[in-house]
Amino acid sequence: MKNEAAWRGFSKCVWCDEINVSNFIKTNYAQYDGDGSFLAGPTERTNRQMARVKELLIAESEKGGVLDVDTERVLTILSHEPGYVIDKDSDIIVGLQTDAPLKRGVSPFAGVRNAIQACHAYGYEMSDKIKEEFTYRTTHNTGVFRAYNDTMKKARHAGILTGLPDAYARGRIIGDYRRIALYGMDYLIEQKKIDKAKLGEKDYLDEATVRLLEDLAKQLEFMVQLKTLALQYGYDISKPATSAFEAIQWLYFGYLGAVKEQNGAANSIGRIAEFIDIYIERDLKEGKITESQAQELVDDLVIKLRLVRHLRTPEYNDLFAGDPVWVTLSLAGVSSEGKHMVSKTSYRVLQTLYNLGSSAEPNITVLWSEHLPQEFKDFCAKVSIDTDSIQYENDDVMRRMYGDDYSIACCVSAMKTGKQMQFFGARCNLAKVLLMALNGGKDEKEGEQIAPEGPVFEEEVLDFDRVYSAYKEYLRWMARLYVNTMNIIHYMHDKYAYERLMMSLHDTDVERLMAFGVSGFSVAVDSLSAIKYAKVKPIKDERGIISDFEVTGKFPKYGNDDDRVDLIGKDLIEFFYKELCKTPAYRGAKHTLSILTITSNVMYGRKTGATPDGRKSGEPFAPGANPMHGRDCEGALASLNSVAKLNYACCQDGISNTFSITPEALGKDDVSRIENLVSMLDGYFQQDAHHLNVNVLNREKLVAAMNDPTLYPSLTIRVSGYAVNFNKLTRDKQEEVIARTFHKGM
Amino acid sequence: MLANIHSFESLAALDGEGLRYAVFFTGCPLRCAYCHNPDSWFKSSTDMTAEEVFHKARRFKPYFKRGGGLTFSGGEPLLHASFINELAEMLQEEGIGYCLDTSGGVLLTNEVKEAINGADMVVLDVKFYEPDSYKKYTGGEFDNFIAAGRYCSEKEKRLWLRTVVVPGINDSEADMERYAALVNDWRYEQYELLGFHTMGFFKYENLQIANPLVDVPALSGERLEELQRYLDKERQALRRLES
Repeated sequence: MKNEAAWRGFSKCVWCDEINVSNFIKTNYAQYDGDGSFLAGPTERTNRQMARVKELLIAESEKGGVLDVDTERVLTILSHEPGYVIDKDSDIIVGLQTDAPLKRGVSPFAGVRNAIQACHAYGYEMSDKIKEEFTYRTTHNTGVFRAYNDTMKKARHAGILTGLPDAYARGRIIGDYRRIALYGMDYLIEQKKIDKAKLGEKDYLDEATVRLLEDLAKQLEFMVQLKTLALQYGYDISKPATSAFEAIQWLYFGYLGAVKEQNGAANSIGRIAEFIDIYIERDLKEGKITESQAQELVDDLVIKLRLVRHLRTPEYNDLFAGDPVWVTLSLAGVSSEGKHMVSKTSYRVLQTLYNLGSSAEPNITVLWSEHLPQEFKDFCAKVSIDTDSIQYENDDVMRRMYGDDYSIACCVSAMKTGKQMQFFGARCNLAKVLLMALNGGKDEKEGEQIAPEGPVFEEEVLDFDRVYSAYKEYLRWMARLYVNTMNIIHYMHDKYAYERLMMSLHDTDVERLMAFGVSGFSVAVDSLSAIKYAKVKPIKDERGIISDFEVTGKFPKYGNDDDRVDLIGKDLIEFFYKELCKTPAYRGAKHTLSILTITSNVMYGRKTGATPDGRKSGEPFAPGANPMHGRDCEGALASLNSVAKLNYACCQDGISNTFSITPEALGKDDVSRIENLVSMLDGYFQQDAHHLNVNVLNREKLVAAMNDPTLYPSLTIRVSGYAVNFNKLTRDKQEEVIARTFHKGM
Repeated sequence: MLANIHSFESLAALDGEGLRYAVFFTGCPLRCAYCHNPDSWFKSSTDMTAEEVFHKARRFKPYFKRGGGLTFSGGEPLLHASFINELAEMLQEEGIGYCLDTSGGVLLTNEVKEAINGADMVVLDVKFYEPDSYKKYTGGEFDNFIAAGRYCSEKEKRLWLRTVVVPGINDSEADMERYAALVNDWRYEQYELLGFHTMGFFKYENLQIANPLVDVPALSGERLEELQRYLDKERQALRRLES
């Protein structure tokens, strides 16, 4: 390929002859070991843009969370005329989902009813035109419910298996948007055409091949449309980017096309910082831009990412509170050759939290390694302490499974960029399955028989071995049902709401991951511990269903670095993962598992009766893999040590831990707080732990913000693999966040 | 050897440098009027061997960077000097250091000296600057404390000093001058004032023991800062005078 102008000054390697962004980065990026003193503040233009953005955000909040909805047109790549934050000249990086900032579009592809309800929730009515258009069209949602069996419907209703993407788009797929900048659309289109032609020449076109052929045709169609979208904004992206501005603009067009086309649960942008840095460094070297202009480009991209919106239903918000998009942006990490991948643009992205103020989006994720330079670790810790806006994931464990060019989707889901995609699968309720095991397969809330009928526990005091063996039986049943349910969902999603554009930015022979999840982990573990080490007496209600427990004696609780209970949790997860793997997944996908609840821990708790650990009926679960609120009483590090024992090899979709500590407990002054936070992260990740959300704040501040939202309008906190503006949470979720353990030290 | 343990805190970032794993022993020879941990005066139900404490503590080694380690607190850790010395041997082998958080209110026996010698650093409470008020408000011997402080100073142990400032008892500028003078010929790294607070009051109620300072308000943050500045100025002035 001849791209002399676009590739001037780059070191040539295999990336020149094949689509290989990882190779391009590794042969061209500039490692940076220094500190943040080179960073530039916001320009006047950036400040003007942010002033406008702040006005818009206030107006959005005053209108109940949604500024405007276009109910007349279905949102697609080419549905809307160009839109700008201020105007064509003032915006640097251009492109909005609709023709105006924060105006949301309607996307009924995953489910029409859902889209209608979402409009209603904010006082809008979807136009008859759209309703009619979709009357004769099968959506993903319709397809799924055609195929669901009765047990699946019951399990879904009872809250054993919920939050599944069967009525909304699955998301969590990350297009490799960098490819557009490096190669230009024409080359990418040409390569896909070659792939398709080759595939069509096979001797036997089996079902899988025919499906892929149709997929490729859809991809090609949307690749052409993406070029048109860019042209509408005045740019031709058929050729590779020739400057830092173009590189950022080109890759942003790819992302924009994806979020216009898809309203999936998480639309992450991937690992872009070090890629962009190569272009910025070249422009700086050529004297084409200054540091201030380089920062301005990054700031303007981040402004655009902060404005991405989808129209959601209240039910959806219950699962994923705070209106998140999960524009997860992963940075840093280490290469397979052992070189750290921190560049100046890793810093520049973090700097946006100072230049533009703290924010939930993009969901900045630092890929932590003990090999990152000390200066960078300290800078990250400072940003955490100042803004509560970033999260950390352990590159040293993920690199073993995903190589060195993976990205994080959503909260904690790793995938090889452009080479792997994920079938997202929400989660099942481990605590509730335990109660079902005690009740012979009946739902303790509604009394309905859901799982196959088994014996109800009749004894005076529960015996651990008997309970655990019955629990495992029901987990086997759960695992089978879960995989089969997911197979239906993703078959239908591929059929009726295929992510054409995102998938066009993947290799044709993409690897697939099917991501299962669990909720109620710490409740299940502590319940088993109570049964094992204390005396748990089941109490039956008038229906003959065990719906309460009397616990006498002490029992060790998860979160205190106590093997007696922590190893029960480790064993439970390993068992469940192995069971999931026994049922084959759709399209040859590899099974993965997460311990992550997002904010659905409140909803799952609501649907679950009293548990043997002493948790009352309806009380929220702890989020993700967190120890239950207030039960981790030997301090912060003991709590981290317990979570660190869980085996990432069985939870390759992530083990989420959200951690709050008061500034006073972390250290006496700014310097010691930074140093101590870095030691904490190093110590935790050195034990092969996977993820940590860090909040450094006081409970009192949150209580004050809950009672008077005007006090801290932009208060950002990390909740569960993502950050939210605290004021966007509903009261019950605010209360749950406040009830979480705040490590105070002594 | 067994020691009676009050509790553990795996993140004690304030008592010493870096991230610290704190072991709180029970038992104290003093009865400070402003004690915020009166629950540590009494025995708990937890007796542990030095090995057991070692195995718990060792789990936190990955966090002990930039100066971190164990902190022995209480209660009065030096009441358990032999236990600490037994534990110190194991810690040393593992490359983990410890800090003593003490009032120095015990006799300076050989065991106590050994415990001090083995420590990376000592955080010492300077309760009062003369024997009468020391006796009155802590019930302890001023001479013990002075001996411990001098010993640390002579051994060139890294030493941090601390004083709890209680409204109406030791919160005047004149008090600060006396404190500064008391430690003037000691070698130490820093001297920090802590404000009296009422957050431990509930413990007196729970234990049903009389709280002698129940009517005393917490010291305000502003006053604390003011006194800290004054103390620092006095300490410097005294040192300048000598040099």
